[in-house]
Amino acid sequence: MSAEIIGAWIAVFLTFAIFSYLYKDNPFYKIAEHIFVGVSAGYWASMFFWTQIQPNLFGRLWPSSEYNDSGFWYGLYDLLGTVTSSAVFPAGGIDKGHGMHLIYLIPFALGIMMLLSVHSKMTWFARWGIAYTVGMAAGLRAYGFLNSNVIGQIKGSAVKFSGDMPFFAMIGDSYFNSLILIVGTISGLLYFYFSREHVGLLGKVSRLGIYFLMISFGASFGFAVMGRISLLVGRFTRLIDYARVEYNYASIWMFVIMVIVLAIWAFKSKEGKEASA
Amino acid sequence: MKNLVDTIIRLGHVDRRYIFVIIAVVVMLPLFFPLNLPIRATESTRVVYESLENLEPNSKVLLSFEYGPSTKPEIHPMAVGVLRHLFRNGHKVYVTCLWPDGQFMALEALQDIAEDEFHMNYGTDYVLLGFRPGNEAVVKGIVSDIRKMYTVDAHGTLIDEIPMMNGIQNINDFDFLFTASAGYPGTVEWVQYAADPTGVPMSTGTTSIQVNEVMPYVQSGQINGILAGMPGAAEYEKLIDRPGIGTSGMDAQSVAHLVIVLFIIFGNISFFLERQRSKKY
Repeated sequence: MSAEIIGAWIAVFLTFAIFSYLYKDNPFYKIAEHIFVGVSAGYWASMFFWTQIQPNLFGRLWPSSEYNDSGFWYGLYDLLGTVTSSAVFPAGGIDKGHGMHLIYLIPFALGIMMLLSVHSKMTWFARWGIAYTVGMAAGLRAYGFLNSNVIGQIKGSAVKFSGDMPFFAMIGDSYFNSLILIVGTISGLLYFYFSREHVGLLGKVSRLGIYFLMISFGASFGFAVMGRISLLVGRFTRLIDYARVEYNYASIWMFVIMVIVLAIWAFKSKEGKEASA
Repeated sequence: MKNLVDTIIRLGHVDRRYIFVIIAVVVMLPLFFPLNLPIRATESTRVVYESLENLEPNSKVLLSFEYGPSTKPEIHPMAVGVLRHLFRNGHKVYVTCLWPDGQFMALEALQDIAEDEFHMNYGTDYVLLGFRPGNEAVVKGIVSDIRKMYTVDAHGTLIDEIPMMNGIQNINDFDFLFTASAGYPGTVEWVQYAADPTGVPMSTGTTSIQVNEVMPYVQSGQINGILAGMPGAAEYEKLIDRPGIGTSGMDAQSVAHLVIVLFIIFGNISFFLERQRSKKY
């Protein structure tokens, strides 16, 4: 049996196991849920290590271009290679195109400090690493947000009320669409103005803002439904593929087996409840 | 009349599992018996198509994969369609991934389109730079100095040894940017840290659920069009005249939407009838 067929059977089992939650919480769903969490954690840890920590951190601390087996620094490297793994610390230094940058010892230390949060007495060390990450992210995001979401969007809402355009058009520029955009933006923003009680004119405009927001939420809901159905279509397409003879009718067999097992499980659970009552 | 109202109210309380079964059936039936419903490209899809179609031959296009298996049915058809369009028009494709799973999606798409369909050469026609963790910091790195961010490609080859990387220093060396995105980090980060500050033209393909979040950038001209979910992919396939996975799923999508709309209408009728009756008594 080829790896592809085994993979198909596993994929079918996990798909039906997740779908089985629509009936109710059951052991198949629990199995799939636990496998998903475990595999995801392992996959992400491995991916991050081999794409960032090993090549970009260790690769900058012990690059092969500056390898010197008689010095302390590379002596430490060789020792690490001996006690851990030669795949992580290959003989002769790490060749990932970097030069030596000892400044990377700082993020290395911060990373280790974050891991110390598992020890109750050393938890405070983690704050340094977290503080750096939060500060860096806040600084990085501030500019992007101001430039694209504030300035860019204000420019985008500065609508045209002149020029050669029709009064009404379903799509594209028109006087009517410009009016809708400006009224929707202002009334929507006024709904979030809480420094005055929403009565009188402000109350009426903010109420109009609610309607615009409701239309927006409706569109979001519609898109959400569309997305979920697309994913269901994709999954069913695969299940139909796996129901073919090339995969030994994996979908059909798995469906029948799981329905029978779930029926027995449901029957036994009911019996158990009745006995305990 | 009373019996009809009773029936409607009773059906309004039907076990949700029956609804799941009905949805499963209506999604599956069109996959077995296609209806071939017409597909018409929307304005936003057409803008994406024209932006790529109007690129000068031999343009350098940065294509970023930000999705995984969970959103593959929606995004993969777009990525495949865009790759097909770019190779057909003779452009150079540089692939990056902000999601770890994106690298596997990119490998699959490049295998199918670049290698099996167009027989392109790795390193001269396309390159897979691969995944780097860091979210927006990676985008920022590509904007300032791509060679610091990527010293090796996804296969471990030194960037300096890849011919098509000659002369590529940062985002300004690319003619166009396309992101196939399913969330964070993705389209929004590319707009904020790459397209807006540098002015490099950009288009995107996103999951349906993201469309409302990304649409303001499209409306304001910060992004050139958007491929919105599976329908966006199907429309793009129609424009490049190569029906694919997106097109084949659209019948099921349309029928399922129709049934959901009917359920919503029926649910509301049932709710109002029940409320009316409770007021009466």
